[in-house]
Amino acid sequence: MSSVLIAPLVIGILSSVLAALIAVIDGIVNNYGEVNISINKGRKNVKVKGGSPLLMTLSEEGIFIPSACGGRGSCGACKVKVLSDVGPVLPTEAPLLTDEEIKSNIRLSCQIKVKSDIEIEIPEELFSARQFKTTVESIKNVTHDIKEVRFRLENPKEVEFKAGQYAQLVVPPYGKIKDITQRAYSISSAPSQKNYLEFLIRLVPGGIATTYVHQNLKEGQKFDLVGPFGEFYKRPTKADMICVAGGSGMAPLKSIIYDMYENNETDRNVWYFFGARSLKDIYYLDEFKKLEEKWPNLHFVPALSEPSEEDNWKGETGLITDVLNKYLKERIKSPNGREGYLCGSPGMINACINVMTSNEISEDKIYYDKFA
Amino acid sequence: MKMTPELKKAKENMEPGKITSSGFLGEDTREIVDIIEKDEEIFKNLDLNFDEVCEKLQYYLEEGKKGLGEPITVDGKYTVKIDEARGFLPCPFEDGIFRKINATLINNENNEKIIYSELSLHLLKKHHFCQGYGSEFRIDPLIIKKIL
Repeated sequence: MSSVLIAPLVIGILSSVLAALIAVIDGIVNNYGEVNISINKGRKNVKVKGGSPLLMTLSEEGIFIPSACGGRGSCGACKVKVLSDVGPVLPTEAPLLTDEEIKSNIRLSCQIKVKSDIEIEIPEELFSARQFKTTVESIKNVTHDIKEVRFRLENPKEVEFKAGQYAQLVVPPYGKIKDITQRAYSISSAPSQKNYLEFLIRLVPGGIATTYVHQNLKEGQKFDLVGPFGEFYKRPTKADMICVAGGSGMAPLKSIIYDMYENNETDRNVWYFFGARSLKDIYYLDEFKKLEEKWPNLHFVPALSEPSEEDNWKGETGLITDVLNKYLKERIKSPNGREGYLCGSPGMINACINVMTSNEISEDKIYYDKFA
Repeated sequence: MKMTPELKKAKENMEPGKITSSGFLGEDTREIVDIIEKDEEIFKNLDLNFDEVCEKLQYYLEEGKKGLGEPITVDGKYTVKIDEARGFLPCPFEDGIFRKINATLINNENNEKIIYSELSLHLLKKHHFCQGYGSEFRIDPLIIKKIL
């Protein structure tokens, strides 16, 4: 055989041997076998195959940690407390953790891998989060860029949640998007509707999930949801509730307000400030006006920042923070104290916190959901 | 300009599913260097300056934040809407991380529209990378010329 043929043949054989060797070594080195995850001091123990990120490993066991980026390490939502040594904080985690969180052993569950027995702590309520198989019951346009989407739960058929909490929409791959995408949205229906979950979803230009909902989602379609999650809910006090929202931030406050009405909690004063740019951006106006008639302690204050002439708007005008400031100074007397409930963009929430704290609502009495 | 190992890595990072689900290249199959060189040429031909464009777009993004999540009229002829989401995005060139803040800028006089993020502005200023054709966040110089 000529050397012209022998050389490639030898190289081919050597390459194959090397590839096989790498595969064998990889199988040995990266085979972590069965490992135990102890959650909340042994309240739950799960035996899993080691080697995968904690976030995905837990979800395969039916324990759902909130995540808005599907494990890419970009949202910082999937934080858990890790009591075992899993190595130093990774460069992919560091930007999303505060110094205090790092000192408290908080880690991003999507970034750390389960390689040996591990002990973690998660909020108790995450044990009740489930993946729901649903059917899209209805899709309605409530403004030119916000849709009200109602899902009928198929399996499980019922959900328990606190008004104000959120769930994650599991968006299937579409168009150029090759992966499943999960995004969090506040639930807008009241908890009494146990067979349904309703959301208000505003179109975000370039947004993967919102574009899917606005352009692809159809009534009758099967769809998965994961939840409920979140710490944003009504505190059981007698203090006046000062609620502020804009756009799809309406969702959790609608759920909270209807939940209170259904449970006859109408002796409590609720002030609900809703900001929009013009009349075409405002919705549920008639619905809340009717509710106000039945519930004298509910005060719905819609405000437009840039009403057009044809809007013929007779209500409050200006940025919602300015309207809020005016009411807190001049109109709202609160012998039982005040609590703030906010839902909207981080910028809107920060601005509202400033107004509230300057009007003697302490920051620990202000509750918010920045990412509706 | 050559496709250095750093640029090859950046191109990998720009693919759908790496940093963002839809990626940074859209339908564009060109190499990053070719995209950058072509857009630099268009910028020059249109008498646009990368730093000046970035400065103006940053200004509208900051002004847009005053709308508190609602669209706001800026300088009488622009509508700006800011959308914010949880977390950060790393630059595909691996030289920084940026908050997920998107601006939609519309010139009301001609209805031309552009969507950009804090990361888009960094890519433009630091790397002269406008993103590929078909990317929703491409800062297309031809559209920029009509808008600004």
